[in-house]
Amino acid sequence: MANLNINSVKENTYGAIVIGSGMSGGFAAKELCDKGVKTLVLERGRKVEHNKDYPTTNMMPWEFKHRGQIPEDVVRENPAISRCYAYREDAAHFFVKDTDHPYIQEKPFDWIRGYQTGGKSLLWARQVQRWSDFDFEGPARDGFAVDWPIRYKELEPWYSYVEKFVGVSGFYDGIDNLPDGEFLPGIELTAAEEYFKQQMNEKYPGRHVISGRCAHITGNAEYYAKQGRGICQHRTLCQRGCPFGSYFSSNSATLPWAARTGNLTMQNDAVVHSIIYDDEKEKATGVRVIDANTKEMTEYYAPIIFVNASALNTNMILLNSTSKRFPNGLGNDNGLMGKYVAFHNYRGGISAEYDGLREFTTEGKRPTSGYMPRFRNVYKQETNFLRGYAAGLYGSRSKEVNYDGIGSDLVNNMMNPSYGPWKVGSHMMGETIPKESNYVALDSDQKDEWGMPLIKINVDYDQNDEDMLKDYQEQMAEMFDAAGFTNIRTWDDGRRPGLDIHEMGGVRMGHDPKTSLVNKHNQLHACPNVYVTDGACMTSTSTQNPSLTYMVFAARAVDHAMKNQG
Amino acid sequence: MDRRLALKQMALLTGGLALIPGCDFSEEKILAAYDELQITEGQQEMLKLLVDTFIPKTDLKGAAELGVHDFVLVMANDCLGEEDQTRFVNGLKGFDEYVKASFGKRFAKMDKPKAEETLLAIVGKEAGGDEDLEQYQYFLNTTKRYTLQGYMASEYVMTELMPYHLVPGPNFKGSKKIVAGEKVNING
Repeated sequence: MANLNINSVKENTYGAIVIGSGMSGGFAAKELCDKGVKTLVLERGRKVEHNKDYPTTNMMPWEFKHRGQIPEDVVRENPAISRCYAYREDAAHFFVKDTDHPYIQEKPFDWIRGYQTGGKSLLWARQVQRWSDFDFEGPARDGFAVDWPIRYKELEPWYSYVEKFVGVSGFYDGIDNLPDGEFLPGIELTAAEEYFKQQMNEKYPGRHVISGRCAHITGNAEYYAKQGRGICQHRTLCQRGCPFGSYFSSNSATLPWAARTGNLTMQNDAVVHSIIYDDEKEKATGVRVIDANTKEMTEYYAPIIFVNASALNTNMILLNSTSKRFPNGLGNDNGLMGKYVAFHNYRGGISAEYDGLREFTTEGKRPTSGYMPRFRNVYKQETNFLRGYAAGLYGSRSKEVNYDGIGSDLVNNMMNPSYGPWKVGSHMMGETIPKESNYVALDSDQKDEWGMPLIKINVDYDQNDEDMLKDYQEQMAEMFDAAGFTNIRTWDDGRRPGLDIHEMGGVRMGHDPKTSLVNKHNQLHACPNVYVTDGACMTSTSTQNPSLTYMVFAARAVDHAMKNQG
Repeated sequence: MDRRLALKQMALLTGGLALIPGCDFSEEKILAAYDELQITEGQQEMLKLLVDTFIPKTDLKGAAELGVHDFVLVMANDCLGEEDQTRFVNGLKGFDEYVKASFGKRFAKMDKPKAEETLLAIVGKEAGGDEDLEQYQYFLNTTKRYTLQGYMASEYVMTELMPYHLVPGPNFKGSKKIVAGEKVNING
């Protein structure tokens, strides 16, 4: 038990506590601080300050000892994180190693984590597509999970609000199921992507190819200068941290903004043990925090608590927050907490070549790529599986280097590269159906170094995912063929759930306290001064990259808290 | 880390053995920089020679003068799996003898055309289950692969020959007309 004298209680009392400094926690903190609330942000990882703590950001390729590759012994000891596409020599310091924070895989799950200021917002792929009612109405229409208690109309102004602050590059595409937003200038498609787009318009009306909307500043420089952020220079080295602050992260945008209000207290190395529930007051009153280094426990108090620890960690903290009133975890009266976890199915891929447009190439780099919004089962159910997939799309002019031979022949060969065909390809982003059997729970015996129970993960694909994967491969191959692409190859990379880094659910939103954990304002039904606005609150997953929607929930929930919490 | 430890202990053991009177190799120092490989300076020199044979100095700088042999050893030391590492190290250690036995002359003694011809002959031959040959083919192919990687991603190539721009700037053109005869820059 922590020291409880009146002074320490006073010292440790804030207007609000936000658990987690990543994408959604950062946004919640910014909103709270902007509204004059003294806010404590608890981050379990180390301090990473914008620019100052981006050690690799200006390194040249040849300055990396292994030219980007992760050494073999690290890969062997950390198989899960090593499968992540961005876990490379230039950004490895922003990822959690498997060995540092073990978890129990009752079924295979690659849990990708970033424990530091900013969390995974430093590392994300920065795609920000809005949801639409074709997503929010999905569970009700197709009979899975529970109905979302909100619709697009209610979120629309909040999408605009968040996008303006974040900075989103995009085009006004006018697509029913991918609403337009507040866009800075878009980044054009490549010649091959543009060609494919036209082919789709002709041959598959309703299947759209757009430039993926991305969280990069491409205009309105004066406005973003106020955040200390500048126009994107297309380095495409975002995972190292951006010296221009051009892509959105908590580190570059929300946290410095919150700090400038004078209302932010940022505390690193703060492992949240649990949320304190007061049986008499019938509400949460604070948070128990273990110092990551000294392992000492301290209590902090606030009338409003935001849980933004990342989807699975939020589940873990809430499940570990037991009290007389809530013996199974805070707000977990129905026993559904930790259940109905879902993710995105990224297993499918396709590659091909296009022999046309030989006289064109591209110039420069870009921080986004092509994107095809979901076209399956949008207006009505039309396949043997539920829901559908979006597709990442790329088409780039290949450059071929001939490495044949030896000696001066070899030098001559490799110093004279030539243009090859356009290489085109895509990857699948499939919606998965939340199920009770896909769940996380706390292990009753094993604990980590900080005395927290280890999390057990039981998440798997199902037949719907397999059928959808097959359809993705067939449809993409058919469309590529129709566009005249050759050497078409499809695959299933067999990746484990988790590697999509879009795990969601466990504390799902719904109308009914009997079948859901949070209400339409992201408050725990049974403990309304606790707000859950990260991936844990997701009732279904849609196909869109989820971070934008988490931030929307966070901003909207702060607004609600200000209006409704004494 | 178990394997590293085991190797270190083994190194201690063999080091101990090396002190037994009469051992011919006692003066061959093991290079500390490549602790997993346990190779000598002589073997490092052999690798440098190979790297220089793959990419010699021409009008352009050669791989050896850029220190690419060190990069090859760093990668072999840090980034190869256990089995591949063993094949690489055994390949390096036995290479000179193998060449002498198969081609009648030590590799180091060969002139440039003969050295190139020899490497092409080893790599181009149908192995057909010849495990020795397979090992040397693996060793040479791996050395070539890392040599190419180290050379192409060297400061020299990426600044002087095919310039890389850390800050390309905000202009991206999705469709740019190719000018006939223009030099293709893989880092452009």
